[in-house]
Amino acid sequence: MSTAPTELRETAAGATRRRSALGLSRRSTVGVYVVLIFWTLVVLFPIYWIATTSLKSPLDVNSGPVYLPGVDYEPTLDAWDWALNTEGNQTRRAFVNTLVVGVVSAVITVAVGAAASYGLSRMQYRPRLSSVAAFIGSGVLAVFLIVLGLPWPTAVLVWTAVFAASVATWARRYQFRLTNDDIAFWLISQRILPPIAIVLPLFVFFQQIDLLDTQLALIITYVGANLPIAIWLLRDFFANIPIDLEEAAAIEGATRFQALRKIILPLAVPGLVATFLFILVFAWNEFLIATVLSSADAQTMPLLVVSQNATRGPQWWNMSVLIIIMSVPVIAMAIFLERYIARGLLVGAVKH
Amino acid sequence: MNHRLSRFRFLALIAIFALIAAACSGDDDTTTGDDTGDTTADTDAPATTQAAGDMQFDGVEVEVLTFTGPQIAEPLQRRAPDFEALTGARVNVTTVPFSELFQNILTDAATGTNSFDAWVFAPQWLVDFAIPGYVEDLTDRVNNDPDIAWDDVAPFFRDFSATYEGTIRAIPLDGDFHMVYYRTDVLEAAGLEPPQTWDDYLAVAAAVNGQDMNEDGEADYGSCISKARGQQSYWWITSIAAPFIQSQGTASGAFFDLETFDPLVNNEGFIRALEIYGETGDYGPPDESNLGVGDTRGLFTAGRCALTLDWGDIGTLALDPETSVVQDKVGAVITPGSTQVIDDSGALVDCDDTTCPFAINGVNHAPFASFGGWSGGINAAADPQVKDAAFAFLSYMTQPEQANSDVTIGITGFNPYRVSQFENMDLWLEAGMSEAAADSYLGAIADSLNNPNMVLDLRVPQNQRYQQTVLDTILAQFVAGELTAAEAAAEIFSQWQEITEELGRDAQLAAYKSTLGS
Amino acid sequence: MALPDAIDARRAPRSAGERTLFPREASTRRLLTSPAVVLVILLSIFPLIISAYLAFSRFQFVSDGFDITFTGLDNFRKLLTGSQSRRFVGRIGTIPWWGWLALVGFVGSMAWTGVRAVRSAPAKRVRIAVSRSVVTIAGTALLALMIQTLQGDGLPGSVVVTLVFVLAGVALQYTLGLGLAMAASQPLRGKRFFRAVFLIPMTITPVGAAYMFRMISDTGKGPLEPLWSFFFGAGQYTWVDNPWGARIAIIVADTWQWTPFMFIILVAAVESVPDALLEAAKVDGAKAWHQFRYVTLPMIAPVSLTLLLIRSIEAFKIIDLPQVLTGGGPGTATESLALGAVLEWRALNLGGSAAISYAMLVLTTFFALILVNYGHRRAVAAIS
Repeated sequence: MSTAPTELRETAAGATRRRSALGLSRRSTVGVYVVLIFWTLVVLFPIYWIATTSLKSPLDVNSGPVYLPGVDYEPTLDAWDWALNTEGNQTRRAFVNTLVVGVVSAVITVAVGAAASYGLSRMQYRPRLSSVAAFIGSGVLAVFLIVLGLPWPTAVLVWTAVFAASVATWARRYQFRLTNDDIAFWLISQRILPPIAIVLPLFVFFQQIDLLDTQLALIITYVGANLPIAIWLLRDFFANIPIDLEEAAAIEGATRFQALRKIILPLAVPGLVATFLFILVFAWNEFLIATVLSSADAQTMPLLVVSQNATRGPQWWNMSVLIIIMSVPVIAMAIFLERYIARGLLVGAVKH
Repeated sequence: MNHRLSRFRFLALIAIFALIAAACSGDDDTTTGDDTGDTTADTDAPATTQAAGDMQFDGVEVEVLTFTGPQIAEPLQRRAPDFEALTGARVNVTTVPFSELFQNILTDAATGTNSFDAWVFAPQWLVDFAIPGYVEDLTDRVNNDPDIAWDDVAPFFRDFSATYEGTIRAIPLDGDFHMVYYRTDVLEAAGLEPPQTWDDYLAVAAAVNGQDMNEDGEADYGSCISKARGQQSYWWITSIAAPFIQSQGTASGAFFDLETFDPLVNNEGFIRALEIYGETGDYGPPDESNLGVGDTRGLFTAGRCALTLDWGDIGTLALDPETSVVQDKVGAVITPGSTQVIDDSGALVDCDDTTCPFAINGVNHAPFASFGGWSGGINAAADPQVKDAAFAFLSYMTQPEQANSDVTIGITGFNPYRVSQFENMDLWLEAGMSEAAADSYLGAIADSLNNPNMVLDLRVPQNQRYQQTVLDTILAQFVAGELTAAEAAAEIFSQWQEITEELGRDAQLAAYKSTLGS
Repeated sequence: MALPDAIDARRAPRSAGERTLFPREASTRRLLTSPAVVLVILLSIFPLIISAYLAFSRFQFVSDGFDITFTGLDNFRKLLTGSQSRRFVGRIGTIPWWGWLALVGFVGSMAWTGVRAVRSAPAKRVRIAVSRSVVTIAGTALLALMIQTLQGDGLPGSVVVTLVFVLAGVALQYTLGLGLAMAASQPLRGKRFFRAVFLIPMTITPVGAAYMFRMISDTGKGPLEPLWSFFFGAGQYTWVDNPWGARIAIIVADTWQWTPFMFIILVAAVESVPDALLEAAKVDGAKAWHQFRYVTLPMIAPVSLTLLLIRSIEAFKIIDLPQVLTGGGPGTATESLALGAVLEWRALNLGGSAAISYAMLVLTTFFALILVNYGHRRAVAAIS
C-alpha cells in the first residue's frame, strides 16, 4: 500500500464515479436505501425521544408514552427554563468546563501524539529492555519505601539513584533491545488500563500538588488517557505518507523541521482533524475520571447529566435538556468535519 | 554522541525529579495552610453563634457540600441569601451525585484537601468521619445556642442520630424513618384495616392486588417496594427484619450481637424477613426489581399502589396536585411489627412481657430510622471563624422558625424531626393536608418517634461495605432467584464476618457500642 | 518501557532500511517521542505501580490520613475462591455433552494449527509451542468457564458477563458497521447525509446514552409501551427481571452507540479497495457476494482486525450502561468487571477494587495478544 496520497485521494473521490460503472440494479438500489433509511431511523429515534422529552412536564413523562408535542401533549419550556435560567449558572459553568477541558486536552493529545507517531514512523528507536526493567524495578522499590514511611523526595532520589546505577552497571550487559513496534504497541496498550486502576493514585497526586477540582487536572489526565488512541490512529497515517517527499526535501538542503512544516503537515491535515475529533469526543463525554477528579469548580456536563438522577427518580426532562445542550456542538462538528474524517481515516485505515 | 546522551539522561532525570519534588512541596503548602476560607475577613467580631442581624460574619465564605437535589440542596440554597443578609456570611452550596457524596467527603478530609467547611450528609456515615476526627465536636456550641431549641429535637435524633460517644457531632436538618403508607379509599372499599404486622401487610397486598386504583382501566398493584440494585433495598430489609430481631430498645441494636459482634442475620427472624421481602414482589409491578424509591414514589402518587414502605416524603409529595392524584387518599402507620421475635439461639418465639417489653397490643414494632435524616457536620480542619459561621448557618436552618415550614414542603426533602413539628397541626393544615390526613401522618410519626425500640442505622466504620456492597448485592441475588432465603442469610453472615475480621472485631464492636450508647 | 534516555540508538546496529536524511537526527528523534513517553510514564505507569500495591493490601482511613496493610494475595484469593468468587467467577454448573464437544474441538483445532505452525517454521518451534500451549490452556479455561456458568444450573460471574458483553457487542457492531459501510459506499444520492447521521450516536455522552435507553426500554412509560402491551398485555411485561433480557438491553444500547465507530472506519476501508480488482472479479463473472467474499473482505481484513482489537479493549471497560440501565441487576446478571471495581471502590474497599482492575487488565491483555498474534498475522498473510 505504498500508493502516493494523491492517488489515494483520487481513488476515494473517483470511487463513486467509477463504481457506478460496476452498477447497482434498480432493485438493489431500493434495498440499499431501505437499509440506510432504517438505520437512520434507529439512530434518530432516541434523539427524537429526548428532544420531545425535554418539552414535557413531569406528569407527561410519568403517565405513559406521548409522542407528538402539540398533538398528544402540550409542550412546555419549563425544563429549558430550568437549565438556562434557574440553574443557568451551573449549566454554563459545566459547559465551559467541558469545552475548555475537551478542546485543550484534544489539541495537546493530537500534538504530542502526532510528534510521537511521526517519530516512530520515520526513525529507529532501540531502547534496551534492561534499562526499562531497571526503571520499573527501581520505581517499585521507591513506592515500597514511601509505603514504609520514607518521604516522597527521598524516595524519588532513591529511585533515580538506583536507576542510574543499574543503567551504568548490570543493565549494560544485556543487549536485548526493543524496536519501534514494541514501543508503539506499549504506548497503544496503555489504553487497556481500566481507568479505575489509575484514577485513585492520580487523585492523590493531584491533591498533593493542589490541583484537584481544576480544569488542568482533567486536561492532564485526559491527555494521558487518550494519547494511545491518537498514536494508534496517527502512526498508520504517517507511515503511509511516502518518505520520498522528505528525501527530495533533504536533498535540496531542508532541515527536518522545514520538511515537516512544508511537506508533511499539509498532507497530514485530514488525519490530524479526524484524530482530533475522535479524541475530542472521548474527552468531551468522559464520566468516570471526571467524577473522581472534580467536584464543583471543574464539574463537566456528563456529571451534571448524571446528577439529575436524584432521590425522586431521574428528572428525565432536565436530563434531556442537558444531553441536548452538550451534544449539539459535537454533533455539529462531526457533521461539518465528516469529509475530513473519511479522508483522514482512509489513509490510516488501509495500512496494516 | 555518548557524551551528549548521558547529559540528556541527566537532564531528563532532573526534570522528573523536579516535577515530583514540586508535588511534594505542594504537599507542604496544603498541610500548613489549607484555609480556603477568607482569611482576610475582619476578625474583630467575637465569634458567637447566634444568628443575629449584626453582620458578625461579614465577608466570611462557607463552602457547603451536599448531594444534588433538588431535595436538601434546595432549602440550603434558598435560605443562604437570607442568612447572608442576616449575618454577612456567604454560603456556597456545592452538590455532587448522591453516590459520590460519601467518597467525596471522606477523601476531601482524609487527604487534607479540605475544600469544604461543612457537609450535609447521612448521619450513618458519622462514625467514619468521627473516628478519624474529621467532624468538629459541636457539643459546646449547641449548649451555648438557645435559638437552636435543642430540647425540641426528638430524643432519638438528639441522643442517637446526632451523637457519637456522648458528643454532638451533627445538627439534624431532617428526620428520616420508615413508615408504611396505604390508600385509605382502597382499604376501606375492601373492608381492610391498615397493617399492624408484616403478615397483615402481605394479606392486604394480596387482597387488593390487581384492582384498578386510579380509574384508568388498568390493574394496579397491592404493594410497591423498590428493589433495584444499588438503590434502597438494604434499608427496606432492615425495616422488615428489625421487629423480628430487635425487641429490647434502641440500645440493643438490630445488626450485630453486642458481645461477639456476630451478625444477627443467620436466624429464623432474618430469614422470615427475606421471605416477606420476596413475597411483596408478588403483589408489585413487574419491573420492581429495577425500580428505585423515586420510581415507587411516582407510582404511589400516580395512584398505582395500595401499600408502600417509604420515608416521610410521601406525606408531602402526595399533596402536590402537579404530580399526585391521591390527595386525601393517603394514610400512614408505623412500620409493621411482628408477634414473634428471635431468642438467643436465633429461633422465633412468641412475644410476651420479657421477650417484647415494648410491644403494643402484642406486636413488637421496631421503626427504622434509616438514613437518620440529613444532618450538617463541620469540618474540624476549617478556619475557626468559618466554623462559627458554618455552625450559625446550620443552626439557622434547624431553628423552628425555618425548619417548621421547610418540613411541610415536599421539595425540601426535609421530614419532621422536632416535637413541635408533629404536635402543631396548623403547620400541616396550612400546607394543604386535610385534618384526617394530617392526623394519620403525624400519628404515625409520633408513634415511631416515641417508640423506645426505634432502630438506629448500622454505624460502624466502613458500614458501606457491609450494607451497600454485601447486603445490597445478596438481596439483589435473592430477588433474582439466584439464592434462596436461607442461602442468602448464610452468605450475608459469612461475608459480614469476613469484613469484620479484616477491619478488626474489637474495633468494630467498640464503634458499634459507642454509637448505640451501650 | 522507560525514560527517554532509554530510547537510545547508540549501539544499535544500523539496519539497512534506515537512512539518515537530515542533520542532527539524534536530538530530533528524542524530542519527538519523549513527551509521549514521559506522559505515559507519569500518568499510567506510575499510578499502575501504586494500584498494584493496593491490589495486594488493605486500605483503611485512620485518624491521620490512611493506613495500608500488606495482605499478599488475599484480595485475589477472595475473588477466585473466597467470598467474592460467586460474584466474580460465578456459580459453576455441569458441562453438557455439547460443551465437552466444543472444548475438545477447541483443543483439537489449537493442536492441529499448532502442529502446522511448527512445521512451517521449525526454527521457532520452542517459542511457538510455548505460546500455543499458554493460549490453549487459558482459552480452554475461559471457554469451560463460559459453558459452565452460562447454561443449566450455573450462574455467570462478572468475568463471563463482561466477556458476553464484549463478544456479542463487538461482533454485532462489526457486522452492522460493515453492512452499513457496504451500503453507504454504493454510488447513491444523499450518501453524505447518511454518513453524517450515522456518526451521531458516537458523539452522545455514554452516560447520557445510557439514560436515553433506560427511558426507551421502560416497558411502562417508554415509547415502545404499546408494543409491549400488544404482545404481553398492559403492565405485564418487563425485560429487567430476566437476566438475558437485561443483558440484551445493554448490548442493544452499546451497539447503538458504537456501531458508528466501526462504520466510519470501515467505510474508508471499503472505499479504498481498488476498483480494478472489483472490476476484474466482475469480468470473471463473480456475483456480488463473491466480489465481497473474495475481494473486499480480504482487503479490509487487516483494518478489521485492528478495529476489533481497539473496540474490544474499550468494550472490556463497559460500565456506564450496566450502571445506569440495571445497576448490575437482576441479581448480578449484568455486573461487568469495571462496574464491580467501581462498586468496591465506592465502598472504599480500594484493595478489592484494584484486584478486580488487575484481573481485568490480565484478561484484556490476553484477549488483545490473541487478536494481535493470531488474527492480525493471518490477515496480513491473506492479503499479501
